[in-house]
Amino acid sequence: MSKWMKLSTVMLGISLIATACGGANNNNQPAATPGTGDNNVEKVELTAWAWNVNVGALNEAMTMYQKDHPNVSIKVEDIGRLDVYDKLSTGLAAGGSGLPDIVLVEDDRIQGYLEAFPKGFQNLSDKGFDAKADQFPAFKKELTSKDGKFYAFPFDAGPTGMFYRKDIFEKAGVDATKIETWDDFLAAGQTIKSKTGAYALPADKFKDDANFRMMMNELGVYYFDKDGNIDFNNPKVVQAMATLKKFGDADLVKDVNGWDGIVSATVDGSVATIPFGAWYYGTIIDQAKDTKGKWGVFLLPAFEKGGNRAANLGGSSWMLNADSERVDAAYGFMEYFSTTSAVQAVAMEKFGLFPSLQSTYSEPAFQADNEFFGGQKIWKLFGDEMANIPTPYYTKDYAMAMDEAVKAQAHVFMDKDPAKALKEAAERLADRTKRAVNNG
Amino acid sequence: MKTNRITSLFLFVGLLIGAIVSLFPFYWAAIASTNESGKVFSKPPVLLPGGKFIENLSNLNDTIGIWRVMGNSLFVVIVYTALSLTICTMAGYAFAKFRFKGRNVLFAVFLLSMMVPYHALVIPLFKMMAAWGWLNTYQALIVPNLAYPFAIFLMRQNMLAVPDAMMEAGRIDGVSEAGLFTRIILPSVKPALAATAIFLFMFQWNSFLWPLIAAQTKEMYTLPVALSSLFGLSRIDYGQVMAGVTLATGPIILFFLLLQKHFISGMLGSSVKE
Repeated sequence: MSKWMKLSTVMLGISLIATACGGANNNNQPAATPGTGDNNVEKVELTAWAWNVNVGALNEAMTMYQKDHPNVSIKVEDIGRLDVYDKLSTGLAAGGSGLPDIVLVEDDRIQGYLEAFPKGFQNLSDKGFDAKADQFPAFKKELTSKDGKFYAFPFDAGPTGMFYRKDIFEKAGVDATKIETWDDFLAAGQTIKSKTGAYALPADKFKDDANFRMMMNELGVYYFDKDGNIDFNNPKVVQAMATLKKFGDADLVKDVNGWDGIVSATVDGSVATIPFGAWYYGTIIDQAKDTKGKWGVFLLPAFEKGGNRAANLGGSSWMLNADSERVDAAYGFMEYFSTTSAVQAVAMEKFGLFPSLQSTYSEPAFQADNEFFGGQKIWKLFGDEMANIPTPYYTKDYAMAMDEAVKAQAHVFMDKDPAKALKEAAERLADRTKRAVNNG
Repeated sequence: MKTNRITSLFLFVGLLIGAIVSLFPFYWAAIASTNESGKVFSKPPVLLPGGKFIENLSNLNDTIGIWRVMGNSLFVVIVYTALSLTICTMAGYAFAKFRFKGRNVLFAVFLLSMMVPYHALVIPLFKMMAAWGWLNTYQALIVPNLAYPFAIFLMRQNMLAVPDAMMEAGRIDGVSEAGLFTRIILPSVKPALAATAIFLFMFQWNSFLWPLIAAQTKEMYTLPVALSSLFGLSRIDYGQVMAGVTLATGPIILFFLLLQKHFISGMLGSSVKE
């Protein structure tokens, strides 16, 4: 009897698989089918990969686009941010099968993809994007192009700011508007710590160096220089690390565990200030609903009085699959998406995605008072900052550079000399990447 | 007697602490799934259920289509476990009880294939699936890992322990070859079957990288892939994540409970083998 049971189980399994094969395939059919109805234009369904709120932004934009282009539609797959890269790399390595027409890529990954798969992505300059490009800030243009040609539509950016708890500052009697330099901020942080117990900054000391990257970018330097040489020995890079060390030495840095740790410190008020990109606004309003009205933002402090206070952290852009049959339709839609300020204003208002399209900054939403931030005009602050952001040079070895920088940072927090730690990191990175190292 | 009682008291307390420590994360996830997102981070921690489970669940259904995804996962895991167990058991039987040319070499090759990192297989496998037009289908999720070397190894080792004399006795009594397998071998390796089934079930249920690569649209996602899609850059709804995680742990616990009797007797059995 049990023999028959087993056999029938197996047969059931096989027949289930057989039926399943039939059903699932129709998701995979080419989307372009001949047009029907009154307009004679061919119907096009574009496909895209994106994560999280970007999916909604793309769908909203398509609804607006369809008023003039009723034949175009889009199917956006919502995929985890890091998962997009796994799928994209696999598809490109396998010769382009299974890829969508449009894919969202973070700015720090674009150059790496262009180097690894030079034929995979559509050259946008060939389609006429150069004429539109002046509407974007300089650093964003540099990040989305290679050898003078554009390969990505600039989308959101992360102009940095110091998100701070007004109530904690007030309790300590510190006036945020008076903070102009990192030294001012250090003094303010000490006052706040002694009066309220709140730390000045959160940092995942041994795993992430976001503060360091913002500081470097503010100083106009980065892991690499414009030519791709390792720039860890640059006195300004050392200055950024040394400044961070001052905060560590004064016990003003709260050591947190990863992203969740930063969010946790934000919600429970154990840090008074969180330096991050404008996108952190979304996290604050989602997770710390009870703190409405208690927040404010000011620009990163400068390294010297009157110095640059603009920097960027994060941001992403859209790339097109060069092998797609629908590349022209995809270009048409994405050009509309990227260069229409009404679309970008919706992405901003509904999804908190800070646009890099500069004409958007004159939209009403950017002049408005923000309620969660006690009536501060935070979007105007970020919008004004955009034009002054220096370009960070990521290269394809960005991940390795960050790895070494984080190690250096860990050593510095454990009391090593910043210049020495960075010099050793530069040597290790040179070993791993075969890149030249700039000396001091 | 007295010392015995004290020992067992200590044992009981120790086990109780161990149980609490290992169960707490599940409890925490379940609690978090009934509260709104930011509550996971509040201090002091929220330890009592809130009233948001239904809301989180319906949000989760709006973002990833949890029931469809759950259905996909269950379908894939059940079919996979049934087929893979059949194939691996038969292969293990052949390796254990049949003498044929190149048997040991073949077996060694199988074992060596366990050493190839999975990531190295993904691209060729993906190409193969693309060439066959299998991308985004159930068979792409199920078929590639059906012959699972570790499961074959496990079954072979257990079948080696079944004395050949039993099979000879069966043959003399006129049992067919298929009968030898189903009526003599299988009943004596029941615990191993249960262990392998649990192992395969867990492997497929938790499998992430391959389903991520092979599934192209939301409708074909399995649970781990869909849950991972909740992690964007900065805006994560932890209420949804925890609701999904809580649902995802259910089936695997259920499956283990179903087979646990055999599984545990298998562990004991192998420890006193003479």
